[in-house]
Amino acid sequence: MIDQLPVLWLFLPIFISLIMYLVKSSHIHWFIFPMQLVLIISFVVYVIAWKSDPSMGLIIFGGWEETIAITFYLDALNLTFVGLTLFFFTIIYYYSFKSNYHEKKFFFFLTFLESVFLGLLMTNDLFNLFVFLELTALLVTLLITYRKGENALKAGLQYLLLASMASIMYLIGLMLLYYVFGHLNIRLMAATMSSFIETSVVKLAYGFMITAFALKGAIFPLYAWLPKAHGVAPSSVSALLSGLIVKAALYLFMRIHTGMFGSPYDFGEVLFWLGMVSALAGVGFAMVQKDVKQILAYHTVSQVGLMLVGLSFDQGTSFIGGWMHIIHHAIFKGLLFLAVGVIIKTYKTKKVYEIHGVMKSLPWTGILLIVGMLSITGAPLFNGYVSKTMIKYAFANDDMKMFLFNLVNLGTIISFSKMAMMLFGKPIQMVKVKRASISQHIPMTILALSSLIIGLFYQPIVQFIYDFSAYGIHLDDVGIYLEYIFWVSLGFNLYYFVIKKDYRPLAKLRDLTMTFPTANFLLLCFLVSVFALVYIF
Amino acid sequence: MEPLLTVIVILIGMYGIISSDTIIKSVFSGTIIESGVILLFLNLGALQGGMIPITDGVNIIIVDPIPQALMITTIVIGSTVTSLALILSIKVFHNNGSIAWKDITK
Repeated sequence: MIDQLPVLWLFLPIFISLIMYLVKSSHIHWFIFPMQLVLIISFVVYVIAWKSDPSMGLIIFGGWEETIAITFYLDALNLTFVGLTLFFFTIIYYYSFKSNYHEKKFFFFLTFLESVFLGLLMTNDLFNLFVFLELTALLVTLLITYRKGENALKAGLQYLLLASMASIMYLIGLMLLYYVFGHLNIRLMAATMSSFIETSVVKLAYGFMITAFALKGAIFPLYAWLPKAHGVAPSSVSALLSGLIVKAALYLFMRIHTGMFGSPYDFGEVLFWLGMVSALAGVGFAMVQKDVKQILAYHTVSQVGLMLVGLSFDQGTSFIGGWMHIIHHAIFKGLLFLAVGVIIKTYKTKKVYEIHGVMKSLPWTGILLIVGMLSITGAPLFNGYVSKTMIKYAFANDDMKMFLFNLVNLGTIISFSKMAMMLFGKPIQMVKVKRASISQHIPMTILALSSLIIGLFYQPIVQFIYDFSAYGIHLDDVGIYLEYIFWVSLGFNLYYFVIKKDYRPLAKLRDLTMTFPTANFLLLCFLVSVFALVYIF
Repeated sequence: MEPLLTVIVILIGMYGIISSDTIIKSVFSGTIIESGVILLFLNLGALQGGMIPITDGVNIIIVDPIPQALMITTIVIGSTVTSLALILSIKVFHNNGSIAWKDITK
């Protein structure tokens, strides 16, 4: 009985969302909370049972043979993602429940998205994966364009078209793999992949699939859609997109590249540099932005790059670090977007230089924002520090790579110095400030506390989730605190004397945007260069 | 011969997405690529002289049913994406008075 629980995770949210859509009562979305409770309790029960018997993760529908049946397969990789999804959606429901109380359709889309995303994580069938990818893209587009603002419509349209291009690339790869293997089961393909890996059809399929994931995950030349889409969506949706939905690409990367293809063709070094360039470009653009949400959105590009840097090592401390950074990034980026959402709602502007004195007008939001900023810049005692230290473990002796890694960190500090300036100064008229509701602050506090708890007690948590013992992190060493203070003071000075002056090249960099045909051209260039690398080297 | 023709259809679509200057052209270039992929996949499963895949267990020469089952799903999803993209482009046109990409991405 317990081994069939994942089926419930897929169908319960869809069922509830349909009930919410059909029933006319305006209080019907109270249903969400019992649903979330049932999902989380069943998840805990399942994980406890799974720990004692990991072979129960395979679920075959309809009693067919495994090669032709639709299957779910759960292992440590997707169970961490499922746990993250359930946790994060609970936070988002809680945050947006009161402010979007009368918008039944908003919750309909959110609940539907939850079930589709859980299906995407659990399925073991390449074609079902394609269906879930397309559905995710559709629902995300609807959520981005929910307010029907002018910029939101443009961003949603571009996101939809680019995401469907990624899905088509993925479909071509899937088709070629079906041509070789005769079935679509990821687990069985992984078992026999090593004897086919050198055939040219499989190489072609690999190129198409990697390009699709790079576009979905906004890796360097293909990042154009992300800042637009994440910057204009409603704040709760932005948090969801940056915290969770982008990670689907990284999950698929781990599942397909590392798991199914077995990280072939010595691609690790290429992926490392792709991730590094992506991280540098992300902070480079983030430093010059003036819109608060654009800053955060460009930071998603850079942090996804850092995750790819970690994941490119296939195993060991750095790989686990990249995997952890996915979850830690969800926590602190979610916190930042939600806190900024409260601030934007109070001040009614998104311009970073027009917001002053958050610490006086919204003290608790200001404290939560500081926790998020410390975490993303990698301050010791917070979760960002743990995963960043683990990512750099594998190349700690390589001066060039360490220099670039520190440069990324410095850029992060510079652009968050700009955001920290919002906290101080003269507050707006206190009469006008409407207190943000407590129902928005509780989920943010939960995120901040989990950031702190993971940062302090990482050892047992890492041991439990990843079955890996973290070492190389010494929180009792004074040196790391001094090092962090050094970087912060350097970053702050650079911000104050260079970025704040807003020189002409910086303004040029800010206005650099990409049209849709250019983005597609880069996509095809990326595809061709991946083929060149796969076939020639 | 047919697989080569479908590859040409895909390449025409790819040329379309990098050269088209308006939203509508981009949407339909995407549709062309998708049609090419669907035709290519159906070609892989096709079999000259094969029967429909409903047998009594005696006549064994049947076409592979899986590509057809998958492609009917793909067509449905593709039509959904296309219709949503067209609805959004109508809204963008009402807001901007233009559907050229260079007016939309300032």
